Amino acid sequence: MEVLIILFPLIAFLLIGLFGRRLGDLPSAIITVLGSALSFIFSIPALLKALNSPFSVKLYDFISLGSYTLTLGLYFDPLSAITTSLVCFISTLIFIYSIGYMENFFGQWTYKFYAYLSFFLFSMLLIVLSDNLLGMFFGWEGVGLASYLLIGYFHQQKYATNSAFEAFVMNRIGDWLFLFGIFSIFYLFGSLNLLEIFSKVKEIDPNLLGLAVLLLFGGAVGKSGQVPLHTWLPNAMAGPTPVSALLHSSTMVAAGVYMVARLYPVFESAPQGLKVVALIGGFTALFASLAATSHTDIKKIIAFSTMSQLGLMFLALGIGDKSSAMFHLTTHAFFKALLFLSAGSIIHAFHHHVRDIYGVGGLKKHMPITYATFFVGALALAGIFPFAGFWSKDLIIASSYDSSFGLGVFVSFVSFLTAYYIFREGFVMFYGPERHKGHFEEEPHEAPSVMLVPMVVLAIGSAVAGFFEGWYMSALKDHKEIHLNIAISSVAIALLGIGLAYLVFVKRVLDPEKLYQSLKPVHTTFREQFFTERLYHKGLARGYMELSRGLFLVGDRFLIDGFINLLNFLYFRVVKFLWIKLDIYTVDLFVNGVARFSFRFGRKASLIQTGLLNNYVAFLLFGLVVLLGIIIYFMG
Amino acid sequence: MKMVPLEAYLILSLLLFGLGVFGMIVRRNLVAILMSTELALNAVNVAFVGADSHLGLVDGQVFALFIIALAAVEAAVGLGIIVAIFRLRKVESSDELTDMGG
Amino acid sequence: MMQWVAFLFFASMTLLSALGVVLLPNIIYVILSLLSTLVMVAGIFFVAGAELVGALQLLIYAVAIAVFYVLVLTAVPWEKALKKDSHYRVEGVLTFPILLAFYLEIILVFLLGISVSPKGQIREFIQNLGNTQVVGSILFSKYFFAFELVSLVLLVGMIGAVIVGRREDKTYEDGSP
Repeated sequence: MEVLIILFPLIAFLLIGLFGRRLGDLPSAIITVLGSALSFIFSIPALLKALNSPFSVKLYDFISLGSYTLTLGLYFDPLSAITTSLVCFISTLIFIYSIGYMENFFGQWTYKFYAYLSFFLFSMLLIVLSDNLLGMFFGWEGVGLASYLLIGYFHQQKYATNSAFEAFVMNRIGDWLFLFGIFSIFYLFGSLNLLEIFSKVKEIDPNLLGLAVLLLFGGAVGKSGQVPLHTWLPNAMAGPTPVSALLHSSTMVAAGVYMVARLYPVFESAPQGLKVVALIGGFTALFASLAATSHTDIKKIIAFSTMSQLGLMFLALGIGDKSSAMFHLTTHAFFKALLFLSAGSIIHAFHHHVRDIYGVGGLKKHMPITYATFFVGALALAGIFPFAGFWSKDLIIASSYDSSFGLGVFVSFVSFLTAYYIFREGFVMFYGPERHKGHFEEEPHEAPSVMLVPMVVLAIGSAVAGFFEGWYMSALKDHKEIHLNIAISSVAIALLGIGLAYLVFVKRVLDPEKLYQSLKPVHTTFREQFFTERLYHKGLARGYMELSRGLFLVGDRFLIDGFINLLNFLYFRVVKFLWIKLDIYTVDLFVNGVARFSFRFGRKASLIQTGLLNNYVAFLLFGLVVLLGIIIYFMG
Repeated sequence: MKMVPLEAYLILSLLLFGLGVFGMIVRRNLVAILMSTELALNAVNVAFVGADSHLGLVDGQVFALFIIALAAVEAAVGLGIIVAIFRLRKVESSDELTDMGG
Repeated sequence: MMQWVAFLFFASMTLLSALGVVLLPNIIYVILSLLSTLVMVAGIFFVAGAELVGALQLLIYAVAIAVFYVLVLTAVPWEKALKKDSHYRVEGVLTFPILLAFYLEIILVFLLGISVSPKGQIREFIQNLGNTQVVGSILFSKYFFAFELVSLVLLVGMIGAVIVGRREDKTYEDGSP
């Protein structure tokens, strides 16, 4: 029964994949929506059941390897069940939204898009619900593939396809590490099943475990876009906005966080590993925020925001607070998706021609609903009471202060930056002069309701999800208290950030242009993500290509081809030589010689036949003499 | 009366035969070649008769008779051929008659 | 004694005449030498006691054949023949070694043959009859088949000679038949 949860998206994928062309684009979209909606509906009873008593559903014996059997199965515990419902819910909303967003592209085989989306959902659910590492890995790979397909959906654009490659390759590197992590786990525990692993985790040497944990975390780094496997995430914005909203903000990138949370007992037993997680998470959080302050692409700012928030989640996990991280993941799904959908609404209003925040302006009066939803999301992200972000971020800040004062300050600084950059984007886009006037004749209009409804729903969710904190914590068998001083200080810091943005970009207290010029080097460094992107693209990728080319030229062309040609040449020489020697000199010589000898001898011999009678008589005599001689010889 | 020794007849026969064959080889004139042939035949006859007298038989003489008869035939035919050749080719020397040579 | 002297005489004359046949340049001389040879050979036959053979030799050879040669030589206009160089070829002397070998072989063969052949079965017969009768009795008994054959050959030869020698068309330029 619970298996239907993952089967619905799979069936949708197969239906659209096989019959999409005949079904058409809109029916395919509806099937996708239905698939995720049904999954959501079916996830609720499972959730309720799992809250009290976690249960497993065994699906399939995959391969029997003598001593161990690889299986496929589902495991429902509070963590996985809540996440499942969350994923299905958000997916359904975004799928509905995408019907409106992609309407320009209907008639151009958009059913492919929906097939990919359904496939993605299936893989994501596999990650979340799988009861062993193998199933999780299947899903892991599946979402990577879906990501590639969806980022590169606009495949005529070179930028999109390059970004898709980049995403896939970096993901792959992460997957590779993840796979080695799985190998180590199997080696250490003798099983891939989560429950079995959890039961045995105390018996394993922490050092070995630490290594395994690091490898597993490598996978999370790739999947969630943490440093150093991060450059793909901003570039993944080349895909359609629903993709950005679903995959690259709320669900897929969250899979990394989820995996760490899922395998938390393992991580906990290897404290060194957790330290690394926190380190990378924290570093990425700061790094991404700084980059977000300098970028001007509508979606990229939000993407960096995702990267930063994920970093915070990893930080939380690293300092031991699994439930805060997961709760932040949940709320983040709401408001990040909301932000993306709002951005998408703007992009859609300008018929996909606008990319930059400075390309538009003063949209407040043209697109009021989008304005409202965006700011709801922004407030949630900034962590302003009573929006959802406040509750989850507050927990993290609290845990950081618990861990060390410096860490707390660090996280506060990051939230300051977060508030600043998101409101910067909001103020520039919705207030100020209408910069788009010169380029577009028609007035930007509000999005169609099929897009607005999901946005509004998400806005409501971003507003109220925070109040479920108590319920969430108890579901995860944890208990959190609110530290009032921290709550107040975090809100204050966020307001500072908002205020700064307001002053600069709305009131023009400090002219952003002049500021930009004077701080150019700093700006550029942040913008170029401390030149990591350049390093990766030009350094690694280009360098590898040149190395390949060099090897090809030397190894292949010069050595191998040269060798082959040399062999060829020698062979012909040898054969020719042998031919001359053997054939011409010996065989031909012999044969021709025999012929010539016969001729000459024959000619000479024919001189005997003179025709002269006298000669013939002489020969007769001679012959007679010879005969007589023979007779005498034999008689005597 | 002293019998002529057998060897005498033999030597005579040999010498005669040799001369006959020699003449066949040497002579150019066709008729001369034919006459050398007669010489050789006669030599054979001498040998036959000589052996005959020594052995007391007459078989050799019979044979000599046959040879004489055949020699006559052969002379007739040969001369006929020579005359024909002469009429055709106006030659009497074996030199010009090398048609069967190669 | 007398036999031996007669034999020597006849033998030497035969050889001399034979040399003449072989060596003489003028063709008429050659014929005459041949005639001489034939007559001397008949003498040899008589010396050996073969009277019939000797007589027949004289009749057939010395008369018929020699005359036939002379007839041919004189009746055919040989002067109309194309002139050539010498009468005989000198390179014939190269056959001397072969002839020598031939002689030796013949001697060997003859002696061997004589030593194994049957001897003197008809000696008494000869004493009573003359040579001719003896030859005749052998000829018509033992060698009868050969005799008939030879007569057949003679017939064929005769016809052949006539055909070969026949004038098919007018070949003589002066028109004489």
